[in-house]
Amino acid sequence: MPVTPLTMVAAVESGELLAARSQMAFTLGFHIIFACLGVGLPVVMLVAERMFLRTGDESWRQLARRWSRAFAVLFAVGAVSGTVVSFEMGLLWPGFMGTFGSVIGLPFTLEGFAFFLEAIFLGIYLYGWERLSPRAHWWSGMPIVVAGVASAWFVVTANAWMNHPQGFTLVDGRVVDVSPVRAMLNPATWSQTTHMIVAAYMVTGFLVAAVYAGAALRGGNSTYVRRAMALGIVMGAAFAPIQVVVGDWSARVVANSQPVKFAAMEGIVVTEAGAALRIGPFAIPGGASLLLHGDCHAVIPGLDAVPESERPPDAIVHAGFLVMVGIGFGLLFIALWSGWSWWRHRRLPEHRAYWWALVAAGPAAVLALEAGWVVTEVGRQPWIAQGVMRTIDAVTSAPGVSWVFVAVVGVYAVLATSTVVVLRILAKRPIEAEEKADVG
Amino acid sequence: MSADLFILGVMACGGMLYAVLGGADFGGGVWELTAARRASVEERTLIRRAIGPVWEANHVWLIFVIVVLWSAFPPAFAGLTQALWVPLFLALAGIVFRGVAFAFRGHVAGHTRQEALWGRVFALASTAAPFFLGAAVGAVASGLEVDASGTFSGDILTGWLSPMAVFGAFFAVAVCAFLASAYLTREAAAAGDVALTDRWRRRALLTGALVGVLATGGIALVTVDAPEVWDGMRERAWPLIIVMVTSNLLSLWGLWRRRWNLAAVGAAGTVAAIMWGWALAQYPLLVPSQLTVDAAKAPDTVLTIMAWGVVAGLVLLVPALVLLFSLFKTQRSLEEAER
Repeated sequence: MPVTPLTMVAAVESGELLAARSQMAFTLGFHIIFACLGVGLPVVMLVAERMFLRTGDESWRQLARRWSRAFAVLFAVGAVSGTVVSFEMGLLWPGFMGTFGSVIGLPFTLEGFAFFLEAIFLGIYLYGWERLSPRAHWWSGMPIVVAGVASAWFVVTANAWMNHPQGFTLVDGRVVDVSPVRAMLNPATWSQTTHMIVAAYMVTGFLVAAVYAGAALRGGNSTYVRRAMALGIVMGAAFAPIQVVVGDWSARVVANSQPVKFAAMEGIVVTEAGAALRIGPFAIPGGASLLLHGDCHAVIPGLDAVPESERPPDAIVHAGFLVMVGIGFGLLFIALWSGWSWWRHRRLPEHRAYWWALVAAGPAAVLALEAGWVVTEVGRQPWIAQGVMRTIDAVTSAPGVSWVFVAVVGVYAVLATSTVVVLRILAKRPIEAEEKADVG
Repeated sequence: MSADLFILGVMACGGMLYAVLGGADFGGGVWELTAARRASVEERTLIRRAIGPVWEANHVWLIFVIVVLWSAFPPAFAGLTQALWVPLFLALAGIVFRGVAFAFRGHVAGHTRQEALWGRVFALASTAAPFFLGAAVGAVASGLEVDASGTFSGDILTGWLSPMAVFGAFFAVAVCAFLASAYLTREAAAAGDVALTDRWRRRALLTGALVGVLATGGIALVTVDAPEVWDGMRERAWPLIIVMVTSNLLSLWGLWRRRWNLAAVGAAGTVAAIMWGWALAQYPLLVPSQLTVDAAKAPDTVLTIMAWGVVAGLVLLVPALVLLFSLFKTQRSLEEAER
């Protein structure tokens, strides 16, 4: 697509574009939290239920039941916020969907089936406590775990495609020679989907741990609390080191297929040999070149490799990247702390400092998730599909997008608040009341 | 069969199932908003139990249809979302609040104020969602200014308004209320609650008759306000009008003679016939009066791969759905739940 002065002017002046982008970012940024919990929570739920089946210990069963109720609430919010996003693809980006809908349709269709299986087995799992044998009930949760991972994988392949579009030819604004499979399995797919799924497990693990670390700080140190906390920590701690490796892999893929995004992430303005690694006010000479190419004199393209009209807002991208990586290493530290204590003492630390760290780690993990999301999306700007279509050419021509955005923010604020209120009511209910309330 | 016909058929099936199953879930809320507003605890428990295990799965049919539409017929999706953004945003608001209100209400038992609040939200949103989705369907039937490339050139705020849109809105709500009451009669009977069965039976008879009358009026309106659809109806979709009328009468007869399964199947058949009748009558137009299937369809390679993807997905989906409904919706499982 040629860069005409007209599109540049439009890009600068279009408040509507900003409103549409803000709305997409906001609703997806909301949905992504619930989507991650939808991937991760079934695992902790099923581990707890498995432990009950193996040991016959009631407190494991209570954990599984309680989490299944929280999961029901979170899944509902995830399902409806995901519905909003699927409509918004067309409502906000008709230019993109009208042109490329067929190219990225396959993963979305398959995701539809995965989501179907999640919803079906969620119904069976939630309402099947009394109807299925304990073993059959446990198995009825397995498809939720598998389908959760599958739907995350399929959806993220579509996002990976936006970062590395392939599998089609564009002739006069229409796609021909479309290969949906090649589009789905683009070079960004494997690292990005892995990065996302591992992130989902980390976010879930640390959020669960944070909830029960909070309980421990308030003096609740029952078996129930300790077990719940341990499950969360094990999940978060197991994936934190993996994420460091996967994140590095992801960054290398970005450096290859989206050098400008990479430059924005690392804050590399000028193309140079021996690019420095910049962390806040510090700069390690040659560090970026060394990390990326194993050679501290290698050339890394900077933002100046492309005209200004093709650069993302680099300050946001760089900040997002630092936040994500910084928190990632913080979480790794907590994982090591937990692992060390387990190795030396066969138990998790019981200091208040450790619990405070966990309480912070939950929201921090969510923040890292959002920051990573900002990096990949803002870092791709001004393109909606890297190098193929600009965001300005995809956006709806409908007026009043800003007003809709304001309304959407209002609605989601209500949604978020009430979700928290309901979850708190759930958490405060005495555990014995759980069984009776499950029917109906 | 060509891939695009297969996918259109799948979409029509998806739309039909969303209406027949998801419509009944909305209908439960419509009843809570109207007649059952001061409903007894038993009444609301019946609605909640009926919807609980299945509503999430039923809701996915909508997402499924949307996703297949944008993948297989991208310009149609782009054009429709542009032309219908007002009713679609309002329907979405309804869908969002129906879903969360139902989940929230089920989990705040004991908190009277919270329960009452989410009960009201649930009732209102359950009515708003089909109202605006029905309006969108009616708007499509009466035609939209969407050209063959999927560009909308009508008025962004009012371009969707038409007599059919207004009719569609009210008709959809009536259909949902009918489906819900026909199914709930069956479930109340299986639970052995005589008083509740009678109450739902009366409601089902009333709304069943109402749907029959409205449908007849709707066909009259189609002749005036949706000429393309009317042509298709005369040409090939007319047998479905017969199916619809027969199912509607069978359902009413089943309700009258207290044959609950027949009544439920008849109600479902009525709605299924309406959805298929609309789809067949409108073919080959995706968006009357200009955008055809041929103009909007994705390249054949895409459609073929999608068709195989759908087949593979159905191999997993169908047994799972059968399991879900056999666990919670067969006569035996309904009776067992009571014991």
